[in-house]
Amino acid sequence: MSKGLQITGASKYYNEGSNRVSALDKVSITVEPGEFIAVVGPSGSGKSTFLSIAGALLQASEGEVKLNGQDISKLSGNQLSNIRLHEIGFIMQASNLVPYLNVLDQLLIVKRMSGKVSTADKSFAVKLLEELGLGTKLKNYPEELSGGEKQRTAIARALINDPNVILADEPTASLDTKRAHEVVSLIAHEVRTRHKAAIMVTHDERLLAYCDKVYRMEDGKLSLAKVESIH
Amino acid sequence: MFLALKELKHNKKRFLMIAIIFVLISWLVFILSGLGNGLSTLAASAFKNMKADYVVFEQGSKASMSKSLLSNELTQQLTEMQGVTAVSPMGTIMASAIKGNSLKSEDKLDIAIIGIEPGSFLEPSVIEGSGLTPDNLNQVIVNKTMKDEGYKLGDTFQLDGSMESLTIAGFVEDQTYNHVAAVFTPIAEWRKLAFAAPGSDKGVIEPVNAIMLQGHNIDSGAINEKLAGTDTVTRAEAVQGMPGYKEENGTILMMLAFLLVISAFVLGVFFYVFTMQKTSQFGIMKAIGARNGFLGKAVVSQVFVLSLSSIIVGIILTYGTAAIMPKGMPFMLDTKLVITYSIVLLVISLLSSLVSVRTISKIDPLKALGRVE
Repeated sequence: MSKGLQITGASKYYNEGSNRVSALDKVSITVEPGEFIAVVGPSGSGKSTFLSIAGALLQASEGEVKLNGQDISKLSGNQLSNIRLHEIGFIMQASNLVPYLNVLDQLLIVKRMSGKVSTADKSFAVKLLEELGLGTKLKNYPEELSGGEKQRTAIARALINDPNVILADEPTASLDTKRAHEVVSLIAHEVRTRHKAAIMVTHDERLLAYCDKVYRMEDGKLSLAKVESIH
Repeated sequence: MFLALKELKHNKKRFLMIAIIFVLISWLVFILSGLGNGLSTLAASAFKNMKADYVVFEQGSKASMSKSLLSNELTQQLTEMQGVTAVSPMGTIMASAIKGNSLKSEDKLDIAIIGIEPGSFLEPSVIEGSGLTPDNLNQVIVNKTMKDEGYKLGDTFQLDGSMESLTIAGFVEDQTYNHVAAVFTPIAEWRKLAFAAPGSDKGVIEPVNAIMLQGHNIDSGAINEKLAGTDTVTRAEAVQGMPGYKEENGTILMMLAFLLVISAFVLGVFFYVFTMQKTSQFGIMKAIGARNGFLGKAVVSQVFVLSLSSIIVGIILTYGTAAIMPKGMPFMLDTKLVITYSIVLLVISLLSSLVSVRTISKIDPLKALGRVE
């Protein structure tokens, strides 16, 4: 079976009065494990709809979405929850952490969603956070963290269940240039060493150098864009 | 539970507020239930503690002692009825006891005189002194609360508006009637007191107020049919028939019911607002894979922990209040009642949290992405 993420001919329609608006128009993309893809485009172009469909948050009106070889376009709500929990790591816009959990618990709560937390889970979480430079912040609450630290916590949270796919939605929206580069290079590093299929939706053209391929989304259509790479 | 406790710990102030409200509500519920229990005990404990199963009243007396007048001759016929194992007559009047010849108002005490056959199943067992004797009509047994008023064993007291005086032969406990201490006299003595005015017995031979029956599965309809002019009811109905009893209990029950309904809404709204404030948090957790059940359990267990601890604090405060209440207060905490109301409060708060659970299940994880197209 093929790993990674394959989307073939996915469309999404909304009914607006008597008109049918298509937010996504026959989008196809394949992301292999270890590949870091960027999707850019103006707001309203369908980037979020695309990410929601890739992330099992939204079901496509047409087309096929295959995660790790499994077709997720026909699953029930609870099955989708399970897919999101085990197969997908989400990195959302800044400060999407649970305010009353400390950094370590942010990761362990994900483990709790699927049952008990073992000692191995705990040591993996600590190792992950140390790797991301948060070793001294394990007991800190989100309000005590800087924007970059919050986003690094979110990266660790996305990786805790060892998913096959990482989805990042504007991960640098609230960061300055230096922190933005730090965060995206961290994501790129983790994606390559851990062999994940990753998609990042972003406005920020400065960060595209970290990605293997760049796609451009316009009016619901996805097309490959040419960008010079820095590798 | 993990999520619930972490949040409780992190947002102590906000949860303390709602806990205080819940503690006050449960405190008030327990105090009211204690007051209701105390009042109904005071009103009818002598009746409730009697070992009688049914009561025969005069027809049209609405199961009330004071409205009923029967002849003791009926007892013979009643013993022959099916299911009846024992029969004994009873009469009551309200009176005032006067200590010696005192004219001071604090030396007068309201009492309820209950006339019974000495040695019958209606006579409560004494905790001090000796019981009634058929030979000495002036020997009475009284409720021990009269001790608090300064009465001792062997004391003789006068009755207001009468030449009769009674002597305390023994003390009994938990015997109050119409909110005052019960004084048990032989039925012959009661007749002297109740029908002192000539003609007030309406010519009934050996008059009594009611006849108490012991026995199982007595067919009250058959008795009503066979004995004209009688009305047989269960003891519980007779208690309800006491003047003011239903009204008194109804008032307290109504207050309790309102309090419970109000608490359901107050708690429900509180939890709902809490949940609404956390919509985006729940959305994020759903986006990263939390099922509705996981989040619902977190909310319900949080409400459970909060309610249980508030109720426990409420119980402690209630027993504390009971300890410092003046002795004469008609306040009686019944463990069974406290447990019942605790469970009712707990169930109400859990039910009210279900509204929030429903809200959570409707939250769209897409909103967590911060923008909906």
